[in-house]
Formats: sequence, C-alpha cells, structure tokens
Amino acid sequence: MEFRDYYKLLGVERTAGADQIKSAYRRLARKFHPDVSKVANAEARFKEVQEAYEVLKDPEKRAAYDQLGSDWKAGQQFRAPPDFGSGYEFDGAPPRSGRGRARAAPADGGASEEDYSEFFSSLFGRGTPFGAGGMPGGRDHHARIDIELEEAYSGTTRTLELQRPEVKPDGTVELRRHAVRVTIPAGVTQGQLIRLAGQGSPSHGKAPAGDLYLEANILPNRQYQLDGRDVTVTLAVAPWEAALGATITAPTLGGPVDMRIPPGSQAGQKLRLRGRGLPGNPAGDEYLQLKVVLPRADTPQAKALYEEMRDKLNFNPRAG
Amino acid sequence: MRITTQTVQAQVLGEGDWIAVTEVSQLCHIGAHDLHELVELGVFAHREPHAGEWQVPAAALPRLRVMARLMRDLGVNASGAVLAVELLEAQRQLQRRIASLEQLLEEE
Repeated sequence: MEFRDYYKLLGVERTAGADQIKSAYRRLARKFHPDVSKVANAEARFKEVQEAYEVLKDPEKRAAYDQLGSDWKAGQQFRAPPDFGSGYEFDGAPPRSGRGRARAAPADGGASEEDYSEFFSSLFGRGTPFGAGGMPGGRDHHARIDIELEEAYSGTTRTLELQRPEVKPDGTVELRRHAVRVTIPAGVTQGQLIRLAGQGSPSHGKAPAGDLYLEANILPNRQYQLDGRDVTVTLAVAPWEAALGATITAPTLGGPVDMRIPPGSQAGQKLRLRGRGLPGNPAGDEYLQLKVVLPRADTPQAKALYEEMRDKLNFNPRAG
Repeated sequence: MRITTQTVQAQVLGEGDWIAVTEVSQLCHIGAHDLHELVELGVFAHREPHAGEWQVPAAALPRLRVMARLMRDLGVNASGAVLAVELLEAQRQLQRRIASLEQLLEEE
C-alpha cells in the first residue's frame, strides 16, 4: 500500500496546532465537499481530506502517526510496523462509519472503494489498537450506486463488488473483496436509500452484522431530464403540427406512445403524459416540451409557401 | 483472489415508510438534538405514534442526509444546512430549466 502524507493533504506543517488543522480542514472541506463543490474529482479529494483530518484531529492517532517519522513521502510503498499503536491509551471508539462516500460499482466495470484508504485501515481500522473497542454490533456501511434512468424505470439487477477490512488471525488487516447480487426494484429515485440487511460490517460476538445502505444516484440522461419522479423530454414538431394539431409518436421510458397535440400549440409549451414518469405511488408524469422546428426555405416550393404565408397571414410575432 | 457472490434482498426505503428517529440518526450520522432541531425548522413532516417516539418519512432521507453531511463536515448549524440545501435545490432546478431552454434553442 502507499503511504499517505496527511499533513501535506491538509496543507499544514507537521508542527501545526489543533486550530490550524481544524481551519485547514474546514477550508478544504468547503472547497471539495461533494454536495456543494463543482471541482472535478471533488469526492475523491474530500475523502482524502476527511481521512487526514480524522487522524490529525485526534491527539492519540496523530501521535501514533507521527511516530512513523517524517521521512516518508506520499505514494511510497508502506507496511505498518507490527508494534504500531502500542504504548498509547485509547478511548475505545472505533473510526466512525463511512457516510455514503464509498462507491459501489457494478461488476461490469469500475472498482469499489471503502470509506477509508487501505493505509488508514491498516493503521487505525478494526483489528488495530485504535479500532479494537467500540460497538459490539456490526456497523452499517454506506455506498453509492449509479443507476441509468432506464434502469430506475424498469428495475435492474446488479452485482456489486465490495471490499471491507477484515482482521486476519495474525492481527493484521486486509481488504477482503466480496460480491453481492441485488435486485433493485423499479421506481428508485435520486438519493433514495436501498437497504441490504446484514451486508455491513460483521459484529464482534453474536450481535447481528450491520446493514449496507446503497444511495441511488440516477445518472444524467441525454434525452430525459429527471425531477423527482417526473421526466421532461423535448419533442420536435412541425409548425403545422403545432398549429393544426396532430397525432404523433412520443418517446416515453416505457416505450413510444401515440399522443394528440392540440391545435394552436406553441413552442416551449409543455404537454403532460400522466403516469409516464418513474413508477411509484403515485407514479411520476412525463412532460413533453414542444420545440417547433421550421422547414428550411431552400427550395422554390418552400420559398413560395413562406411567401404565401407572409402575404396572407398578416402575422407579426413581435406585436403585443 | 476468489470472490464469492451472494444474492441479497433489497429493501427500498421509500414513500409510505416511516423511520424511527434513532434509526434516522444512524442512517444520517446525525445526533438526536440536531435532528429535532431540523424537525422544529419544519424541514419535513414527522409523527409521534407513541409518546416520545418520533418518526420521520423515509422520503425525507435524501435531503436529511445532505443536511447532516453539511452540518458535520462543514460545521454549519441546522438553519444554515437547511438554507444551503434549499439553495442547492433551487440552483439545480434553474440548471435543469436552463438546460431545457438551451435544448430548445439548439439547431435554431
């Protein structure tokens, strides 16, 4: 595993006081907090900053970390010394559980991460003096799962590859990978929590294992815009379809449907298809925003038609 | 490394579900005091089926989790977190509106 320079991550000197560390953390947390930041890769940066603060704000952890010495450089290959953490007194509190920052990726692609780095887990996680005490029951884990809008509409089955630190018989910690296959029902909305009972951390003793909570993240869709359970789609129509009314085929998440455009419709107007959004109780609606597309006047016939409209309609779009 | 795959049952916490405050505290990593403060600010509905046992709707969890994160990570108080979330939601709504209008203007 690679060494992490927590001081460098927070941008403080090794001699920095608690106030300086807190101030640096607050500044960086504001900058990279995934709920408010627009910075690229904000989530990963925030996790690093949070992990650094987790160690440096705690006098016991910081002292133990400092014992590793100042010669280590970020990214250097590292292995925790066997006596790491000995000689300190602990309050028995394990590192708090993650808060939804871990990302659970589908098996058909990306990697998965725990809330803390392997470096942190090896020094301060369970199975170490710092993580030895605490709750007898298993901890809940949180992860985020990316879902396509179409999958949210129809439901999907995913295999999630997860990893969590486990204590080996020799007391060292290793990240163990496991996979869970989970059926996500139709109608999941943005931010909704999906509970997988017993898939969190195993407990000490006979207490039940914690649960794994997946926070649904519906990915942006090129065609549909999602707002709660409602979706909006732009629908191109010809001027005569808008003016005279027409029956046209409109896309919906459940497949194309025929719908009637009322006569006299205008560009930008929204038509509602009730219950055609994400399933639920009640189901969301689909809104079709009309976009009137003008035919080009690039043939003599088209030009003649436009000229005829100009001469006969007495229409001024800028009037009142 | 060999990976075992286990099939598990998912439970979506959604509309119609009510969750005890103690569980919400765990899910959102927020103290009971802060949670009660958010309830008092009227951010979401709550009910009390038995004296002293508060419940909140599961549908409020996504917003609550963001508020709790802002309070915990950025040190803002409950009112600040509510204000931030409302502003973020308004910002996203405006961004959606802009995207929608831009789409209308495309190819014109």
